[in-house]
Amino acid sequence: MTRILFSDKLDNCVAKWRSAGLTVIGPVQEEAISRYAAVEKGTDLSFGTVLPDRSLKELFFPQTEPMTSYTIKKNEIETTDFTPPQGKRIIFGTRACDASGLAIDDPLFGWDYKDEFWFQRRNESVIVTIACTKSDDFCMCTSLKLAPDSTKGADVLLRPIVKNKGWIVEELTERGREAFAIISEYLLESPEPAIPTVIVPEKFNLDTCVAWLQNPENFDSKFWKEISMRCIGCASCTYLCPTCHCFDIQDEGDTYSGIRRKNWDSCSFALFTMHTSGHNPRSTQSARWRQRIMHKFNYFPGKFSVNSCSGCGRCSRQCPVDMGITETLQEISKL
Amino acid sequence: MITQERYRTTVKELLANGSIKMAIGYRLGSTPDRRRPLFIRTSEEADQLVLDSTCMTNLSGYLVTEGLLSDEKKVGIFLRPEGIRSINILAAEYQLNADQIVIFGFDSTGRDVRPLDGRNVGEFSKLLNEIKEHPLQIVKEPLHWRIEKMNAKERFDFWQEEFSRCIKCYACRQACPMCYCRRCIVDSNQPQWINTSSHTLGNFEWNIVRAFHLSGRCVQCGNCDRACPVNIPLRLINQRMANEVLDGFDHFAGLSPTQEPVLASFKKDDTETFIL
Amino acid sequence: MTENIQIAQQNIYKPAIMKIVGRHDEAPGVRTMRLEFQDPADHEQFKKTYRTGMFGLYGVYGEGESTFCVASPETRKEYIECTFRQSGRVTSALANADIGDLVTFRGPYGNRFPIEEFHGKNLLFISGGIALPPTRSVIWSCLDQREKFGKVTIVYGARTVADLVYKHELEEWQERADVDLVLTVDPGGESPDWKHRVGFVPTVLEEAAPSPDNCIAVICGPPIMIKFTLISLKKLGFDEANVYTTLENRMKCGVGKCGRCNVGSVYVCKEGPVFTAAEVSRMPAADL
Repeated sequence: MTRILFSDKLDNCVAKWRSAGLTVIGPVQEEAISRYAAVEKGTDLSFGTVLPDRSLKELFFPQTEPMTSYTIKKNEIETTDFTPPQGKRIIFGTRACDASGLAIDDPLFGWDYKDEFWFQRRNESVIVTIACTKSDDFCMCTSLKLAPDSTKGADVLLRPIVKNKGWIVEELTERGREAFAIISEYLLESPEPAIPTVIVPEKFNLDTCVAWLQNPENFDSKFWKEISMRCIGCASCTYLCPTCHCFDIQDEGDTYSGIRRKNWDSCSFALFTMHTSGHNPRSTQSARWRQRIMHKFNYFPGKFSVNSCSGCGRCSRQCPVDMGITETLQEISKL
Repeated sequence: MITQERYRTTVKELLANGSIKMAIGYRLGSTPDRRRPLFIRTSEEADQLVLDSTCMTNLSGYLVTEGLLSDEKKVGIFLRPEGIRSINILAAEYQLNADQIVIFGFDSTGRDVRPLDGRNVGEFSKLLNEIKEHPLQIVKEPLHWRIEKMNAKERFDFWQEEFSRCIKCYACRQACPMCYCRRCIVDSNQPQWINTSSHTLGNFEWNIVRAFHLSGRCVQCGNCDRACPVNIPLRLINQRMANEVLDGFDHFAGLSPTQEPVLASFKKDDTETFIL
Repeated sequence: MTENIQIAQQNIYKPAIMKIVGRHDEAPGVRTMRLEFQDPADHEQFKKTYRTGMFGLYGVYGEGESTFCVASPETRKEYIECTFRQSGRVTSALANADIGDLVTFRGPYGNRFPIEEFHGKNLLFISGGIALPPTRSVIWSCLDQREKFGKVTIVYGARTVADLVYKHELEEWQERADVDLVLTVDPGGESPDWKHRVGFVPTVLEEAAPSPDNCIAVICGPPIMIKFTLISLKKLGFDEANVYTTLENRMKCGVGKCGRCNVGSVYVCKEGPVFTAAEVSRMPAADL
């Protein structure tokens, strides 16, 4: 026997969680795009898309985050620290790739100096992943040795049952058990079978690619120039990526008062590494694309023992010139 | 298919006899409905050329890639009429020498692709003037009608809502052939003209500044609109600005390589004395 | 996630407030400032952690932060000295600040020169132009405990006589019997009364020909100077493992998160800024 959350009870669950003080967040289909957003009713959630256009990252690392406000007086600087919005939240219906993305970035935000803007949100969020039963041409989690039902980063895993009637509940962590205890009255013991998770074909052999990337001789390979020739140097791949974490720190205001903010930034931009002197260590688009690939599959795993990619495929899906990690790694595995 | 085959042959010939060093076109993309830019330098690469009605991207922005044209050799490029207008503007703004550009023009109706006669940008002036006089009836989309019915306040609210999705990835800028500035105004920090943050004000500043910078220069190729990962209907803003410039100054961007930029040219006898 | 990760009790991006207590113009556009902590807790933290070679983010609220080394030695922790060239937005704002004004400091971050390992050894400091400040931090850290080290040689060059920084300290080192100072300016940069060498640093270094025996070399300078000086040191017989340098890259966070200071797999802000020449030679040259 397994425990089932039937979808006709989702409204009740959302109401119950909300009355217990949790903000309920999940995939929402808006007019122009789909994304993870707060909802008031279970029926506001939309589970039809393969995955939301925008990644889960932005709920933990927003595109602009006020950190400190300052007021400068004659012999004094007054500052006030901002903290992320307080309060527990449940994120219902993340995709496995998005949840994995959070777990991938934890060590980065936590090594040595801990970024409280990230970890306060992490500690206050319950992640409920729904296993995927469909995929599209760009999904590539299996190529990253993850899976449509990966539990990485999740507190609860749900497996859809037939006819969209609901989900089999697998609680993974204490935090997940606590959150589902709140709605235990709506969980029913039932022998419903799960729909098999979707089979996502492997698009490249990761080990082959990583071995090639780790070979110092390939750093200067002409491959980089060829593969990135059509890159226009925008940041849509990095900003939609569930693991890209680079940021800028910017002051907004005047000499007397203002706010210091942490804003998304991207290794795709020429200015990202430009010194004041004009010297730029990554002065060409090919050097910048190489950095992105190397960082994700060579440097980051070297530091944190995990690839900085969860295979969501958004980089390729949204690229204005049809580039992306998939194509690059596919080409590398042919070299 | 015939057009595609003929152009493949033409490109091969021109590469072989040294008339061009490279041709910029399209090839198959990662899914059946996608096309991606292709840089043709060899006969084998020419065989990858695809030309059909789904080839939408205006490729002219690649021509101003640093160093590409500095050896004074010619480069071929596949362009729809909007792309040809882009070449005229880039030439008029001294970003390239139009004589270095060999145009492989094409247009499509439904799924049919047809070639456009001419190789040098000057040979298309009749076609472009006809387009100015008889603009293609763009089928107005529901959103267009919705905005037209709005008053100023409603329009402001509408765009504020649309821009709230902006993440400042600058895909619109990078995809735009007209956004060739070495240092964009948003990248300047002395002074900091535009907030770098992607909050309401910062997003508004960015999108409005871009709309102004493109007034009288945009050819409505749709690159920005297609590139936007959060689906802001940028086409509508730029189209509106183009209409304003056409109505106000009878200026249709990109008619010839010597056409004066409408918002960057001055006349001594201008009735608006404040300009001088 | 299964366990709560301990949250830092404070915002790691929040700087300490510093008062400018001294200013000195070193060369055209180059200024040294002496800063004092306003909050004793910040000062205690600095005293506990600072070692020579570490860097900080110096800032002015409203303008931002800029990364450069701590120019004062680890033997003098009552204040922080920094030397910078006025070039960008932040350094311009710092240059406009007066004695008594408040600025910010975040750090000290990064690794350090392992100077205990230099005990009993001869020291060769080679520096060019505005890159003397990081070297100066090590020089004073060693001179303040002079008895622990062998022979001390300093080779310092700049484009012109005017561009030499710490001129008063150069005089001091010149007069000390226990320091061998070799000064040079690039050809054409000499003034009529210039009494020292004329020539590029690598050439002058080869002429001075310091012995590599039991010697540690510390070099800081513009990339082009470092490149050719390393070749000269090799000619003189120095082992790459005994040659130290510092790398400077654009940084925003200083704590290994913002992603821009990477050189190859190295996070300069955490694994650097101090590296041996052997470590640098393993980095991809195109990334430097």
